[in-house]
Amino acid sequence: MRKQALLLLIVLFVCAGMVALPQARLSTIKIPFETYTLPNGLTVILAPDNATPTVAVNMWYHVGSKNEMPGRTGFAHLFEHVMFMGAGHTPYGIHDKLTEGVGGSNNGTTSNDRTTYFETVPSNYLEDALWLESDRMGFLLDTLDIAKLNAQRDVVKNERRQSYDNQPYGLADEIISSAVYPSNHPYSWSVIGSMKDLSAASVDDVKNFFRLYYAPNNAYLSIAGDFQVAQTKAWVAKYFGSIPRGKAITRPSALPVALEKETRLVFEDRVQVPRLYITWPTVGEKSDDRFALSVLDAITAGPRTTRLTKALVYDQQSATAVGTGQDSNEDAGVWNITITPRPGHSLTELETAADVLIEKLKSEGPTQEEIQRATAGLEFQFVSSLQSNLGKAMTLADGAGFHNNAGYFQTEYQKMLSVTPTDVKRVANKYLTKGRVVLSIVPMGKLDQASKPAESKPFKRAEQ
Amino acid sequence: MKSRKHLAVFRYGLTALLLTGLTVTGQQTLDRSKIPPPGKPPALRVPEWTKSTLANGADLIVSEKHDLPLVSFTITIQGGTYQAETAARRGVAGITAAMMSEGTKTRDGEALSNALQLLGTTVNVNVGGESGSIGFQSTTAKFPQALDILADMLLNPSFPSEALERLRAQRLVALTQAKDQPTQIASRVFPRLVYGTAHPFGQNVTEETLKAITRDDVVSFHKAFFQPGRALVAVAGDVNGSTVKATIEKALSMWAKGGEKPAFTYPALPATHPTTIFLVDKPGAAQSTFVIGNPGPPRSTPDYYALQVMNTMLGGMFQSRLNANIREEKGYSYGVNSAFAFGKGPGAFRAGGDIVSAKSDAALVEFMKELRGIGGSRPVTDEELATAKDSLIQRLPGTFASVQNVNSAIVSLWTQGLPDTYYQQYAAKISDIRKEDVLRVASQYIDLDHLSIVIVGDRASIEAPLKASGIAPITLLDIEGNSK
Repeated sequence: MRKQALLLLIVLFVCAGMVALPQARLSTIKIPFETYTLPNGLTVILAPDNATPTVAVNMWYHVGSKNEMPGRTGFAHLFEHVMFMGAGHTPYGIHDKLTEGVGGSNNGTTSNDRTTYFETVPSNYLEDALWLESDRMGFLLDTLDIAKLNAQRDVVKNERRQSYDNQPYGLADEIISSAVYPSNHPYSWSVIGSMKDLSAASVDDVKNFFRLYYAPNNAYLSIAGDFQVAQTKAWVAKYFGSIPRGKAITRPSALPVALEKETRLVFEDRVQVPRLYITWPTVGEKSDDRFALSVLDAITAGPRTTRLTKALVYDQQSATAVGTGQDSNEDAGVWNITITPRPGHSLTELETAADVLIEKLKSEGPTQEEIQRATAGLEFQFVSSLQSNLGKAMTLADGAGFHNNAGYFQTEYQKMLSVTPTDVKRVANKYLTKGRVVLSIVPMGKLDQASKPAESKPFKRAEQ
Repeated sequence: MKSRKHLAVFRYGLTALLLTGLTVTGQQTLDRSKIPPPGKPPALRVPEWTKSTLANGADLIVSEKHDLPLVSFTITIQGGTYQAETAARRGVAGITAAMMSEGTKTRDGEALSNALQLLGTTVNVNVGGESGSIGFQSTTAKFPQALDILADMLLNPSFPSEALERLRAQRLVALTQAKDQPTQIASRVFPRLVYGTAHPFGQNVTEETLKAITRDDVVSFHKAFFQPGRALVAVAGDVNGSTVKATIEKALSMWAKGGEKPAFTYPALPATHPTTIFLVDKPGAAQSTFVIGNPGPPRSTPDYYALQVMNTMLGGMFQSRLNANIREEKGYSYGVNSAFAFGKGPGAFRAGGDIVSAKSDAALVEFMKELRGIGGSRPVTDEELATAKDSLIQRLPGTFASVQNVNSAIVSLWTQGLPDTYYQQYAAKISDIRKEDVLRVASQYIDLDHLSIVIVGDRASIEAPLKASGIAPITLLDIEGNSK
């Protein structure tokens, strides 16, 4: 991510991406949009709505850390930063001046699977936003030099320090991914990458990466907010139409994995309170099992009547916080539990208690009422997300990029609402098996605070 | 060199014709080097609202917005922890707020939680430094039921003792974890240094204060704090302006008259100290967390607009002086910024960010250079001033996007005592600011000789270089802010 102040947007994005609208209301509330493709392959999605006099532009490229080569981890995200350093006709600084400097905002995000660049501007600055985005798609390399790369390399290393290395428990996700996936699997490394690889990235790497992935045939442009459709189509053609199509892209294989047995790890961190992470490999965005896995998440932790929260935080009072989640990348995903203990309760005790509850859920399945509670908030979340032009632009581009259907959010909602207790029981039994990763993060020198310490192997970080 | 080789005129013309149906009368070469001139600025559409008073004395504001079936409902209380907590019971407001979700006379905690889950909403209770609130957002259809549950939580909480013990235990663990987090350490230590422990701004929630809180404290806090005489009920969204007042009156009919707005008097600030580096050791830290600042003026200062313009140039935007220098040019950080915490009291000016350990001294030199610069040593350019004003003025039309935005925009006028025409007048007030105003407020409100510079980082590697920089004497503190 280019800047750090984006938490709210990301939350909104996740909500909007996960939910849609009840069937009964689809006729009255929706995102009106149209989609078309330029001859050079650029997919364009237009969603006019004049409720607020701003326009959000979201430029979505189908490239992320999974497209990186070993030895160059973190490159897709480093590249995202370079995209803000100016291009052929747009000198450094003009991007911020024409967005934040006129009352708007801009940022970029990189995930394992895609990179997005977006700006929200007062509606009279839409043409400027399109000019900016088209210039860096068409002419980034005209002004690229090693100084620009080095400047952002230092910034990204600081982003890594701030968000991972200097953050209590900050390395958990990286450790877990490296244990869930084999080392040649593209989801085994983190989006932020290693310090060593960040140091190795060269200007030639930037050029090759740009030429292959930042072509219009690998991109989706969504525009939501207060604009005139015909005028906007003319601008899109004017600024993007002449950018040439790129070469065909071979996408890496990132298939879901299964673990045969349990991997147990313990990591010493600068923390005073230990924490337990249990992770199972599951499925990604492309598999419908993720809907039942999301409902499983919603009935397991969260409000006080969800199963793990009720048992561990309220009834047994052995934990201060419990979280679960189905994290779906494009091609594979994980389902995880995070537990923070109360003083006097060991991680071993908490793991055993969690296992008992998960086994009970697997054998009995959830009740219909639990499913109802889990999905009752979806309508509000969806309608609420429509208030943000940026949220809409992101939802539409994700649907187009991952599912070749900008309106995929409607399908998602139908599928979420049709999840049954039987589905949840089935996915719990299918995925929450003995093949999993159990990570204990413990205070320095307190390996004995791990869950089942004798069976847990100390995790050593690779050289940074 | 500008590359034009991709600009096939034919493709551009053809594409435009095919996709838009617009007539292409002449084929032109696109000149990408020209910044497209912006269109006519969108009009400022400030939401409208009506004001009245409920039977119990609470103010009521209703703002209708019907583009989506959504409602934002809040009750805001004047005064917060600074007015309503005592030094020995810091944390009672937060525990009381959490306890209001633990059950009522007719619904236990689980029943409340289930009912709200089925309505697809949550009722949030928060008490901040100078105001508190209870509220929710819902779909139009669920609004009456959600309002009834809110009223039950507000008026009939049962405050079970077992919940107090559970919440206390959770907060004690959270406090322990906060001591591992450099940002949280800095945000606890900085106010202690700037305001002193005799001032409410300088008093923290500690293990001792959390352990002292009793159920009686919670009951008393709730009774004294949540009173209609100091409250604003605000509803924004898809409601019927002619009937919603009756709905609210009915739901809150048992909320009896009482209470008045607090005076917001604060003790005098402690004597200033010469600019000092307060170093908190975090062995092995990869970064040093910086907070640099001093007490600031209240929101009511006539210098508010000049301060906003000044700070936008200094550290309010990505290309502001601090971030452009320390992040973009030097690469010492992922991001640095500055802000004034405007309120009823002397909220602080703060600049800071997380700095790579090895550049702690070099970054401090740059921070000080920029703070001196905005006060006069680096003149404000016409372009800088114009961009800062444009950014502030043109942000406004987009700020009323959601029912929650509308609600909070109106409530903030009430809590800060600002006129109903505030948003209409805003652009003119910002436009009036001149370079000399910027210089004056920078020198007046950023006191270079009496700054507190809190740095949480790896003492072993950063102390000597910081000392060698000669910027200010170093005082060592523990993570609570006590002298070592």
